[in-house]
Amino acid sequence: MLVGDSGVGKTCVLVRYKDGAFLSGAFISTVGIDFRNKVVPLDDAKVKLQIWDTAGQERFRSVTHAYYRDAHALLLLYDVTSKNSFDNTRAWLGEISEYAHDDVVIMLIGNKADMKEERQVKYEDGERLAAEYEVAFMETSAKSGMNVELAFQAVARELKYRKMRNPDDPKFSVTEYVKHESQKNASGCCS
Amino acid sequence: MATASCKSLEDSETARESEEETEIPKDFEPGASSESILISIDLYEEVENSPGSVYEDVSYRRRKSTICELERSAGKRVLAEEQVETSKSFDDKSQDGQLKAEIGHDESIRIKNSPNVEPIRIEMESIQMSSDEEKHEIIETAEDIHNPEWKQHSKHIFILSEAGKPIYSRFGSEDKLVTLMGVMQALVSIVQDNGDVIRSIHAGDHKFVFLVRLPLILVAVANTNASAPQLVVQLNCVYNLILSVLTSTQLCSIFEQRRNYDLRRLLGGAEKFLDNLVDTMDSDPSFLLVAVRCLPLTSAIRDTISQSIVQYCSKVKNVVFAILVAKNQLVTIVRMKKYSLHPSDLHLVMNLVNSSDSFKAAESWTPICLPKFDSSGFLHAHVSYLDDNCPACLLLLTVDKNLFFTLQECRRKIVERLHRYNCLEAINASLESEGYSVSEVGLPDLRHFIYKSKSAAQFTEPRLEAPYVSNEDQSNLFGLYQYLHHRMYNSARPLKILFYVGQKEIMLSWHMAGFELYAAFEPMVTKFTAVNTMNKLVRWIKKEEDRLFIMNAPTI
Repeated sequence: MLVGDSGVGKTCVLVRYKDGAFLSGAFISTVGIDFRNKVVPLDDAKVKLQIWDTAGQERFRSVTHAYYRDAHALLLLYDVTSKNSFDNTRAWLGEISEYAHDDVVIMLIGNKADMKEERQVKYEDGERLAAEYEVAFMETSAKSGMNVELAFQAVARELKYRKMRNPDDPKFSVTEYVKHESQKNASGCCS
Repeated sequence: MATASCKSLEDSETARESEEETEIPKDFEPGASSESILISIDLYEEVENSPGSVYEDVSYRRRKSTICELERSAGKRVLAEEQVETSKSFDDKSQDGQLKAEIGHDESIRIKNSPNVEPIRIEMESIQMSSDEEKHEIIETAEDIHNPEWKQHSKHIFILSEAGKPIYSRFGSEDKLVTLMGVMQALVSIVQDNGDVIRSIHAGDHKFVFLVRLPLILVAVANTNASAPQLVVQLNCVYNLILSVLTSTQLCSIFEQRRNYDLRRLLGGAEKFLDNLVDTMDSDPSFLLVAVRCLPLTSAIRDTISQSIVQYCSKVKNVVFAILVAKNQLVTIVRMKKYSLHPSDLHLVMNLVNSSDSFKAAESWTPICLPKFDSSGFLHAHVSYLDDNCPACLLLLTVDKNLFFTLQECRRKIVERLHRYNCLEAINASLESEGYSVSEVGLPDLRHFIYKSKSAAQFTEPRLEAPYVSNEDQSNLFGLYQYLHHRMYNSARPLKILFYVGQKEIMLSWHMAGFELYAAFEPMVTKFTAVNTMNKLVRWIKKEEDRLFIMNAPTI
């Protein structure tokens, strides 16, 4: 389930992930909750993700609250060009702890990372907040596609790990996985 | 009330009418069926009698809320929610008198360019600085009251709170109009102090129409053909839209807690619904007639569609309405027994679908309040387009907010069955032909018409063709229809039939017990021919009624 302030790019990230396209032009705001399916091949299994895309506006909160408790994973987005949306993530995390399951997978995502000029929230700030709440963190760009695939992959892996859990399996940590994968990408860039 | 001249006019009209009666029975009503899918109402009666304050409305509704009733009947525990609002006495002034201030043209200029202009500018500058964070808003709306373009718009709509806080403006940014809205609030409250309610100000071609629905004030400023009562109807639609987003319960409780609340916070994302509604009302007769346009389909296809919906929705408890719309036209409604939909609620549903692209991409689940059905609470709507290649949108409305997955499955089966019976192709074919041509009627002098079946609350019109091609010509024609409609419904002197010689066409309107008919004719047509043509036209509509109207009202 994608949550976060209005206009941070929840629908754009999802459409980039699902259809590989960037929704440019007019601002399409979600009304209520949108529902999409995507089947993700993971190693030898297939994970079916049911993705809820929520409206960020205050008036839809009561609707989204009802669906928190069914969510296995929450992607909390903010906009790196809007300090305000970042400040609000604490309130969102508060809501999550109130309405969602205790063991829900939470990932904090700073979107619009391609907009270097207008950036108001540093990468480190996001990282620090994520560490404080012990949630995974990454920055994405729906426009360039950066890290979008990775974000959903990481969540899918974590969910699969939880579902199939064998006591003998090595422990899977979404935080570690994200760190590892993004480093791999970064080094790939440099070489 | 009836003056001598008025009486003689009416007499001559009844005389003409009796001539026609040899052909058309008095209760003739093509498009009418024994059971209607929509509630039909007399719109002006309703406007006059509606309460001036939502507070009173709420206390009344809470006791007999339709949604509560539905929830109870479903054996669900009714949440011991918000205590019954105590009725406020705000409305005591709304009924007992009306003020229609007729002031001259220079008076209106004083309102617009009052000595307050200086402070306005200063305040605006400070606002501009403080609202830097809302930069996209400032970029897209450079218009304010000093902008000549802003003044040129032919119809403005403003919404403000009782405390004078700006909530919505059709043009320009509300922030920059804060002082103007203050003036509006002052006008309302000055008149209120005298125990009266301001209705309208007429200045030259401009009408300033007020609708006080506490805690909101709605204002229309227009120099179009729309009459003051028609503008009130439009403002009522806008007000209902706000209720559909918030419910009256929420609207009241917010302003009870904080009278100076900035409602834009809660309406976030709903601006485009307001914009779209206000734009549509300038050209769509649905709002003028308080009726619904149906998609022409053969009755066999329509029945198949309805039956498909009934078949699967009847298995789901708590579906109140299933509505299929395509490009602002109604394909069918399936409803729960006992409950009917009001046309203006359906207008809001259609407006929701039309103004949001987000439904096209995914299945949505959204709360919507239908104010005429029950203004105190939300229904929950499963919204989806039938297919990527079919612009028909299916809405399943329920009182149960946990029904998403059930309705998703229900919708899947409905779409499957519609595919099997080639219903999507039929809908697409009808949409592609854009309705029918007036030439199909076979009456050479007839250019265009609008026919409304009163009891069905449905209307039909042919597509606009030459000479109504340009936007200007089309809106002129609509203006003439507005004028006819206003004359026919004029409360001081309602008419049965009106022959009007316009600059470029002859217009004729005709009200019978069962229907309203408005038509445009070639400019040289005689009264006799025009009246004759109207008779033939009504017969033609009768012949085609199965295709043009929804004649049966399936229930679940």
